[in-house]
Amino acid sequence: MPVRVDRNILRVPKRARNAEAASFLAQLDDLSRRMFDDLASIKAAELAWQPRRGANTIGMLLAHNAIVEVYWMLVATGDLKGERLEEVLGLSMDGDGIPMPESGEGPAHLRGRSLAWYRKLHDRARAFATPILMRMDAATLEKIVKRPRRDGSRHDSNVRWILYHVLEHQAGHYGQMLLLRHLYADRRKRS
Amino acid sequence: MSRARIDRLVPAPGYPSREVAISMAQLEELHERIVLAAMPLSPGQLAWQPRPGASTPGMLLAHIAVAETHLTQVGLLGETSGHVQDVIGIREDDDGMPLDPDGLPPAILRDKDAAWFAGLLARSLANLRTAAAQLTDEDLDQDVVRPPRPDGTQRIFNKRWALWHIVEHTSGHLGQLLMLANLVRGQAG
Repeated sequence: MPVRVDRNILRVPKRARNAEAASFLAQLDDLSRRMFDDLASIKAAELAWQPRRGANTIGMLLAHNAIVEVYWMLVATGDLKGERLEEVLGLSMDGDGIPMPESGEGPAHLRGRSLAWYRKLHDRARAFATPILMRMDAATLEKIVKRPRRDGSRHDSNVRWILYHVLEHQAGHYGQMLLLRHLYADRRKRS
Repeated sequence: MSRARIDRLVPAPGYPSREVAISMAQLEELHERIVLAAMPLSPGQLAWQPRPGASTPGMLLAHIAVAETHLTQVGLLGETSGHVQDVIGIREDDDGMPLDPDGLPPAILRDKDAAWFAGLLARSLANLRTAAAQLTDEDLDQDVVRPPRPDGTQRIFNKRWALWHIVEHTSGHLGQLLMLANLVRGQAG
């Protein structure tokens, strides 16, 4: 019988201007592939399920990841204007409903959305990020970006940190989606 | 006067490969945040299960250290099998993961405080630093062919993927730890 081989080979895209930026892109794509594999069987009810009032749903986390990816690419390229994000995604900066009030429910416009809908949102974000990362040069990675925050404070970071943050942020929420799937399955079993 | 927070990721010093040095800078940052998230939790909170069969914050912390050490040994160093206990002092399955559907946390993790889990993580990271310092750019393209599993399947990956997997695996469980810490605080309140 032929042996089934699980192969995980991470290669840096060759046509990119800078290998480091391209490596971030390869990692993002690897993460997305595995995340959507793990979510393949999910239905709209589970995507909108909250473990308790005020807690995020898997759908909210998927929308949040897409928003955050586009947001940080706009920050990294110095092109951040509120309407730009909405033009790219068709969803506003607050469209994920995060952060949610303590006893809040998921946003109405995400209710009933299928995985295919979230996949399209993800793909729009990635289609926006890909050429930015493929064209990014080494000097840009070192560039310090100064970002004023709503509370009056300022956040300064280099672009390398931004790319890393997008990755670890998505990986963190992917981990939370897996935990929510366990809690959802367990809830059905026990009810 | 405005407050400014500065986050600047630079390659960690002491690694011959720049690519490895960047991943190590990420892992240093992740470890800091994991310990920061764990330290406020009491032994009771670290052992809290949302329901039987679910992981506790303590199990996640032990699992991060176990998996990181295992991946360092078989993934980055290409050893045939892991020997996690030699490095961090607990065995591969002492994290209790995956638990049976109605399983309770492993006894070995009971009553352990955050400093005990931080010790596991510190030993794991020290071991990873030593292994990563041996890796060159060429090594990252090297394939690791794992021995066939009992079910007949086999796994092949390159060392670049193994290093990336350590980063994203740690990030994923940090996300879960933050979520559980939030739930356990809600429980107490």
